[in-house]
Order: sequence, then structure tokens, then C-alpha cells
Amino acid sequence: MSTARLVARNEWRLMQRSRVARLALFMLLALATVATFTSIAHRNASDDLRARFQAQADQEFDGQPARHPHRMVHYGHFVFRPLPALAAFDPGVDAFTGNTIYLEGHRQNSANFGDVRQSSLLARFGQLTPAFVLQVLAPLVLVFIGFGLLAGERRSGTLRVLKAHGVTPRDLLLGKGLALAGLAGLMLLPALASLGWLVIAAEAPALPALALALGYAGYLALWVLGIVIVSAIARDPRNALVTLLGLWALTTVLVPRVAPDLALAAVATPTRLETDIAILRDLRKIGDSHNPDDPHFAAFKARTLAQYGVSRVEDLPVNYRGLLALEGEKLTSQLFDDYAKRQFEQQRRQGAIVSGFGLASPAIALRSMSMALAGTDLDGHRRFLTQAEAYRYDVVQRLNRLQAEAVTYSDDSNRNKDPEAGRRVRIDPANWSKVPDFAYQPASLAEKLRSALPGAAVLILWLLAATWLLRRAARRLGEAL
Amino acid sequence: MTALWRHELRIFLRQRIALPALLLMLALSAASVWAGLAEVSRQNAVIERIQPQQAEDHAAVAGHALRDRDPGNAAYYTFYATWDRPSSLAFAALGQRDVAPYLLRVRALALESQIHESENYNAELALPGRFDWAFVLTFLAPLILIVLLHDLFSAEREAGRLRLLRVMAHDRRGWWLRRIALRAGLLLAALIVPVVIGGLIGGAGLAILGLVGIAALYIGFWVLLCLLVSRFKLGSIANAATLAATWLVLTLVLPALALLLINAAVPVRQGVELTLAQREAVHGGWDKTKQETLQAFLNHYPQYRDTRPVEGGFHWKWYYAFQHLGDLSVAEQAAAYRSGLEARDAWTRRLAIVLPPLATQVTIHRLAETDLAAQLAYQDRIRTYHRQLREFYYPYIFDERPFGPEEFKAAPRWSE
Amino acid sequence: MKRAMTSPDSAQPLILVDQVSLDRGNRRVLDQVSLTVAAGEIYALLGGNGAGKSTTLSALLGFLRPASGALEVAGIDPVSQHDQACARIAYLPENVALYDQLTACENIAYFMALAGAEPDRASMDRALDAAGLQVEARDRRVSGFSKGMRQKVAIAMAVLRDVPVLLLDEPTSGLDPRATADFNALLARLKARGTAILMVTHDLLGAADCADRIGFLASGRIVEEVRPADGIDVLALHHRYGEAAAA
Repeated sequence: MSTARLVARNEWRLMQRSRVARLALFMLLALATVATFTSIAHRNASDDLRARFQAQADQEFDGQPARHPHRMVHYGHFVFRPLPALAAFDPGVDAFTGNTIYLEGHRQNSANFGDVRQSSLLARFGQLTPAFVLQVLAPLVLVFIGFGLLAGERRSGTLRVLKAHGVTPRDLLLGKGLALAGLAGLMLLPALASLGWLVIAAEAPALPALALALGYAGYLALWVLGIVIVSAIARDPRNALVTLLGLWALTTVLVPRVAPDLALAAVATPTRLETDIAILRDLRKIGDSHNPDDPHFAAFKARTLAQYGVSRVEDLPVNYRGLLALEGEKLTSQLFDDYAKRQFEQQRRQGAIVSGFGLASPAIALRSMSMALAGTDLDGHRRFLTQAEAYRYDVVQRLNRLQAEAVTYSDDSNRNKDPEAGRRVRIDPANWSKVPDFAYQPASLAEKLRSALPGAAVLILWLLAATWLLRRAARRLGEAL
Repeated sequence: MTALWRHELRIFLRQRIALPALLLMLALSAASVWAGLAEVSRQNAVIERIQPQQAEDHAAVAGHALRDRDPGNAAYYTFYATWDRPSSLAFAALGQRDVAPYLLRVRALALESQIHESENYNAELALPGRFDWAFVLTFLAPLILIVLLHDLFSAEREAGRLRLLRVMAHDRRGWWLRRIALRAGLLLAALIVPVVIGGLIGGAGLAILGLVGIAALYIGFWVLLCLLVSRFKLGSIANAATLAATWLVLTLVLPALALLLINAAVPVRQGVELTLAQREAVHGGWDKTKQETLQAFLNHYPQYRDTRPVEGGFHWKWYYAFQHLGDLSVAEQAAAYRSGLEARDAWTRRLAIVLPPLATQVTIHRLAETDLAAQLAYQDRIRTYHRQLREFYYPYIFDERPFGPEEFKAAPRWSE
Repeated sequence: MKRAMTSPDSAQPLILVDQVSLDRGNRRVLDQVSLTVAAGEIYALLGGNGAGKSTTLSALLGFLRPASGALEVAGIDPVSQHDQACARIAYLPENVALYDQLTACENIAYFMALAGAEPDRASMDRALDAAGLQVEARDRRVSGFSKGMRQKVAIAMAVLRDVPVLLLDEPTSGLDPRATADFNALLARLKARGTAILMVTHDLLGAADCADRIGFLASGRIVEEVRPADGIDVLALHHRYGEAAAA
């Protein structure tokens, strides 16, 4: 083991003297620093802005004047998705999903104003974030510095000299690997610092942050292993470099783009327009509240009358129009949930296909793990959509209940003919502030860890495979000497 | 002369890396074109598929909304479909068509709450970007070119042939020009042939020459860069490393930095602000006196000045009037939002002057009409169509003319 | 030790190096070097490492510009009229580097095409016969060729081009005795065709075997010139050569 350390120390000295290595490392650290600062600033600004908009929307809702409750159903509400603290490390899909939804009765609107739609094509080149630096750039810098670790020695013939001095191939590979790993550790420093800062200053959850650090360390370790292996078995340094560049381009640039295309081709999702039409169609099948002879609503009416033991809606102790609104909202909401579930299921299947490609590209595995831990994966957005829909349903039904209980049937029916009734249906605005504000519940630690698990497992698989390959490379190196 | 080309071709193709690299380029280009064509035909199929669904929906709406021949009901319940067909070059650069909708339904209510709707897309799939020809050209082709060209001179020097070549070759400039032209030309051919075939299949016609021209220019830029690096007389390895590092900086690092700068320099929060403001304006309409609202509307549509005043609690006239006034109240913000987006786009185009990969993407997406400008152009067409829809319904609403199935059928249709 | 140049047998030397001095950086690597090689003559330039042998060849190939003095190859200045001079020179580097992925004949066809000629197969075969490359090797890729075989390919090119001047850089280093004998026989045949041959080498015995004249180069100067035909004492020469190389 001490021989390996000796080799590593010697290699470190060589790297320190190499202008290319110093320059590459410096550039990477500079980029990582820029990425860290801008990412934290961007996350804070976005989150503040959303919080401010949310406060404004809450205030505007609470501050509405006396109104008919159904007016408030259509006035609706805006909810904003807060940005988790760890989004400053890996913003994940945040830019690609809208971050605000307009909630109103009987309609489900989309989440709008995602950054990508508001940016030029530049956004599709990738965003400079700490995660991007480590996922994409750091491996390439490691390749540049490490491709000649063994291939260079083999070409210059020093490999035989080392062998003559009793250095075993195992020591050699370990030593070189250690030296490169030390460099990888340096590259990890800005990321670790930013994670530490986020935990201390921005109250980011500590355990996911730690898991993130471990994940990225494992990913870079995988590249170190890969570089040492290729450098050990390549015929000459140029072959090592070209092979490693090819592997890099394949696993971090090409496969991550091809996988989604295949997933999209395998699992088609209907467009929003089609879903809208389908929901309306299903709704018509259930019942048409506009049609007085509709069987569903006729049955509802009969049931309601029987429940209160009266024979006319006018005799009900509550406003029948409010009851109808409650029933109507229940029906549409169920359909919204059904269709959302179907869509989420399709997205999950697409996601599973992409995850499968993690076996061909560790970058994919790391990315999904990283986004899951940061809380910026699609699951996070789905949580937001689901909670927003639940909140929408809750707000609308509260207002419908107010219509049923605080507005009389006769006033409601005559509100457009009789100005007095029209005034009476506008109920006390104090009711609006009784509606609770939207509070997004982020994924729990267990949920985050669970959704990070597949990516982590694939990464571990990769590490095991690389270790096995390293042993074989050591044997081959021994034979070649 | 042709003998020399033949000899060069033999030397090149018998290199261990050459044929695999060219075939890889051909395969990537063909796969991306195929994927693009598949996506474009899928989008076209979706547009075809929605037509009967849309017709069925209209029929159902007509069933209840026309019952009392009230134009207000019809305008309220009828969603009109708009769509943006992919251009004949879209297959080469799918661009923003995955994150921006190419289908949108609108009705004659306030538009600002409808026009910013987004599509249901899987954000995790959109995150890495699409695998299209523009991507293969911008990102992968330079890498393969680097593999083919990085040792153009250094290999001769390292193998010890350079002196022999210098003694034997009559025309040394011609010698290396031939070599570069052959390698870059074959790569370009592998890149272009699939897209030209794709253009023929997709019916792009001569427009495909634009893509061919851009590809030639972009590859030309990388050839020049390879030559520039070879002037430093480094070894093959150092050449390859220098070129790959340049590729990294030009295609990944600088664009990412540029995005940071542009988005910081041109913030566009007006989108959210305008929807919040528009909601206040529209719903504030309920609290104003109906006559005041109607009067404000009639200033914009004086032709309905003689409409009967609204009596009672509700009339569609008044409803559609404040819907439109809601849009007008945020027109300035909408314009600001749009100009913010355009400013970002303009800055991107300015940066493209110094960043060839960006220039390539910008130009191809402009030709393919899949960029931000195309997205905004679609929104403009939606705005125009929305106005046609409103103005189709206004005479019925404000002149209180009955609205039956005949009239319903006469509604303006979305023209492609 | 310096002595006056003897004039060559022929009135028209094909290789002329006249009082050439050449600097690389601040170092004078050739100092007033003069030599001539006539048609049908083999001149061997001997010297230790760094004596200036390869520099002399580079200057004749027009790759280096002398500080003073005159150079001529078949009457042409290789510096100012590089291409015309090159058209009259065949050059064999120490290790003849060919395209490994091509066969012997393809290599010849390629390099000949670069020089502006398109020889047919029959003439290539004749040239390869003259160079002595076995028939069965001619359509094999040269990646497996020995140094001697590569030299034969290069000589075949010289034969095909029918150039008057042949420059050889360490042609026999690394050849086994039999291949060396082969090579010397080949040179003799070229000499018989009237080619002027200048070879740089540090193999005195080999040079004594085949050269008409031997020039000793040390520290950029020709210190002695001998004719093996005059019946010299090779052993004594070897001694002196060693001393000169040390000096």
C-alpha cells in the first residue's frame, strides 16, 4: 500500500508541474465558483419573487370586497411553487416547469411561466450550475489530466523500469488512481462548500445534502476508475484520449439526449387540448347540469330532497344552487384527478425508460439521483400539481359551501332581477380570509431518499463493475510488462 | 489529378479511425433526421387527430349553448382550436416546440389568461434537450471532425514522413488542401446526405440548401480551428486535447455563461405580473357600474354605441366588455413582457456573432421556425384569430341578434 | 589537418557544396564545408553525433538556409528553387516512413503522383526489380516491412523518377550484414546508372566498402577526405576517425 502512496505522491508532483493540468483545474474551479454563486443568487431571487407573488395573491384574495361566493370561485387563486434550498445546487427541471398555476372553479389550468419558455435557445445548451459542472465538465477535465497516466508510461518505456524496481501493476494502478482521485476531490470542493453553506445558511436539509455529496463523489470516483482502466489498457496515449473523449461524449452528451426521445416514442402522452376535450366529453357522459332532464342531476335532486324530507328545492334549508355547484365540482375534480393520475403514470413509465438508460450512462443515474435529493425532479413538480389541485378543490368547495349556506335560494335565483337580492348574495368579505393559504409540502426525507434510490443503485452497480474491470486491467498490465 | 484524390481517399479510409468515425457520423445524422421526421409527423398527426375531436366538442357545445339562441352562451362555452404546424424544416431542429405549445384552444373571453397556457410535457425528458439534427451538427460533428483532423500534420511529422513528403510533393499547398477537403468533405457528406433525404421526404424543397450551407460554414469554422491549432506544431495528443477543450468552452461553457448573463440582464417577471394584474382588472369589472364598463368598451367599439343599456344584474354585453377591457388594461405589460422576451432573443443573436455554435443553432432554428420568434409569431396569430372570434360574436351580442346553428357554423376558422 | 579540396573526376559535379556555413540559433553547425559529388560517384560523409552530417543533407534538401556559401543540386540552388531541386533529388531518410496502411505499390503510386508522375504497374515492377524487392511483397501492406524492405521501396521510387541525385541518411544503420551487402549491391547498380549518391553515415567499414570518397566531418568542418580505392589503411583511419569524433 505504501508503494501505491509513493506512486500517488510522485504523480501529484508531476501534475502540479504540468501547466495543462494546472490550467484545466483552475478553469474548472473558477467555473464551479461562478456556478455556485450565480446559482445561489438565482435560486434566492426566484424563491423570493415567488414568495412575494404568493403573498400578493393571498392578500388580493383576502382583500376582495363582498361578493357572491361563485364570483370568488371564478376570481380564483394563484399558487406558486417554492424553490427548495438545494435547487441552488441542482435546479433540475425547475426552469422547464411552470412555477405558478391559476386555480379556478371547474377548470384546471396549466403551470405557466417556466424559465425555458421565456428564454432564447441558449437555455437548451445547458445551465451553468454546480450540478452541471460536476456532471459534465469535471469528468472531461479528469480525462484531460488523466488519459496518459499509464498509457504515457507505457509509451515512454518507464513502465518496465518501474516493474524492474518491484512496483506491482496493482500498486501502480492504485497509486495513479489515488493521485487522480485527489484531483477529483479538489474539484468537489466548491460543491461541498456550497452544499455546506446551503445547509447552514439556507436551512437546506442536511441528510439529502450529504447524500448529494456522496453521490457526486461516487460519480467522480467512477470516472477516475474509468480513466485509469482505459489508460492502462490503451495501446498509446492518443488511443486512450480518443477512447475517453468518446466515452464522455457518449455518456454525458449523447445518451442523455437519445434516451428521452426513445421514451417519448415508446409512451405517447396526449396533448393538453385532447385531455381538455376528453374531460368535457366524460363530464357530459356523467351528467349535464344545464339540462333539466339530465338523469344524473335529476337523481341528485331527488336524493337531496329526500335527505331533507322536502318536496321542492325552494323548501330546502340550504341553497340548492350551492349544492349543485358542490356536486358539479366534485364530478369535474374526480375527472381531473383521474386524468392527472393517468398522465403521471405515463410520465413515470417514460421516466423508467430513461432510468433504464442509466445502465448505459452513469450521468443519467446521477442526474436523477441528484434531482431527487435536491427536490427538483419531476416528482417534486407532480407534488406541486397534486397539492395545487387539492388546494383548488378545497378552496372552490369552501366557496360553494358558502353559497349553499350563506346565500338563500330565492336571493340566488333572483339576484339578476332584484337589486336587493343582488346585494344580499354578496356575502361578508371576512369569509375570504378564512380560506387557508396554500402551503406547499415538500417531499419528506424518506420520500426523497426513496426516489433517489434507483439512481444510487445504478451508480453503485457502475462502481462495482469498474472495480472488477480495474482488477482485470491490472492483470493485463502485469502480462504486458 | 483524380489519381491523387483516389490515393488520398485510400490513405484516409484505410486509417483505423476513419471509416468508423464517418459511419458514426452518418448513423448519428440519419438517426437524428429520422427522429426529427418522426416527431414532426407525430405533431402533424396530433393536429389531424384533434380535428374530429374538436368537431365533436363543438357539436356537443351547440347542443346546449344554442338552445336559447343566446350568442353569449355560445361564445362562453365554445373553445376554438388553434395550431401551429411544424415547418418543412422543423424536423432538423425541433427547438422549442416541445416546451411551447403548438396547440392551443381559445375562447372569446379575456385572452391574457389563455395565451400563456403551457403544454403537458414531461419536463425531465425536455431537460437534456432533443436529439435532433441541429444537435448532431452543433455538438457531435465538431467532435468527430476533431478526431479526423487533429493529426493532419502532426501524424506525418510523428511518423517521419513529413520530410519525404516535402521532397516528393510538387504542390504542397494542394497536397494539404486535398487532404483537408477530403476529410472534412466526407464528414460533411455524412452529415448532409441524411438531412437532404429528410428534406425530400419532408417536402422542404430548396430550403434544405440553407441547412446545407450552415453545416458547411460551421464545419468550415472547425476546420479552420483545427488548422490554427496545428500551426502551434504540438503533438497529436496535445492537438486533440486543445481542440476538445476548445469545443467544451465554445459549445458548453460560454453558452451557459451567456445564458446567465442574458437572463440576469433582461429579467422577465412581467409574465406573472400581467396575469395577476389582468385578473384584478377583469374581476374588478364585476364591481364597477355596468354602464361605466360598457361606456369604456364602446370607446373602442363605437359601432355598437346604439346598443341597449344593460338592465338587471347580468348581461353578456357587459361581461364580454369587461373581459376585453381586462386585456386592454394589461396591454402595456403584455407588450413589455413580449419585448423582454424579444430582448433576450436579440441578445442571443448578438452573442451568436462571436459564438459559432450559437450562431449555428440560432440560424437553423430560425430557418426551421422553431425558435422563440416562431413561438411569438404563433401567439400573434392567436391574438389576431382571437380578435376575429370576438368581433364575430360582438354584433350578435351587442345588437342582440339571435344566434343559431347557422350562425354558429359561420364562426371564423383558424387558418394555417 | 585541413587540406585543399581535390577537384572531382567529372567537370560537372551533380552535388556541390561550396564553402557553406550554417547557424542554428547561435551555434555554428556547418563551418566552411565544401564537397562535390559527380555523376556515378558515391560520396560518404562520416562523422559522430552532432558533427553536422544531417544538417548538410537538410541544406541540400533546401530545408535550411546557409549563412554563407553556395549549394547546388544538378546545377540548381535548392534554397531559392526548392521545387525544381527536389524534382531532381531522391531522398531516403534514416527510417523510410511510408503509409503503413498502403501496400508497397500503392505507396509508390501515391508518392509518384505527388511528384507528378503516374507510373503503370509494369514500370513499377521494373523499378522494384531494380531495387530488389521480392515480387510477393509488392502487394502487401508495408506495416510489416523491415527497414531494408522499406528502403527498397524508396529506392524503387528513385529509379522510377530517374533522378540524378540520391541523398541517403544512415542507410545501413540497423541493417543486418546480409541486408547491408544487398544494399551496397543496390547502390552499385544505381551508381552504374550514373546517379550521384551522397550518404551520411557513421559506419566507416560500410562506407569504405562502397564509397568512392569518404569525407570526415567533425564539429561542422570536413577534416579529411580519402579515397578507399587508393588503398587506405582502414584500421588507422578508424583510429583517426575516433580521435576526430572525440575532438
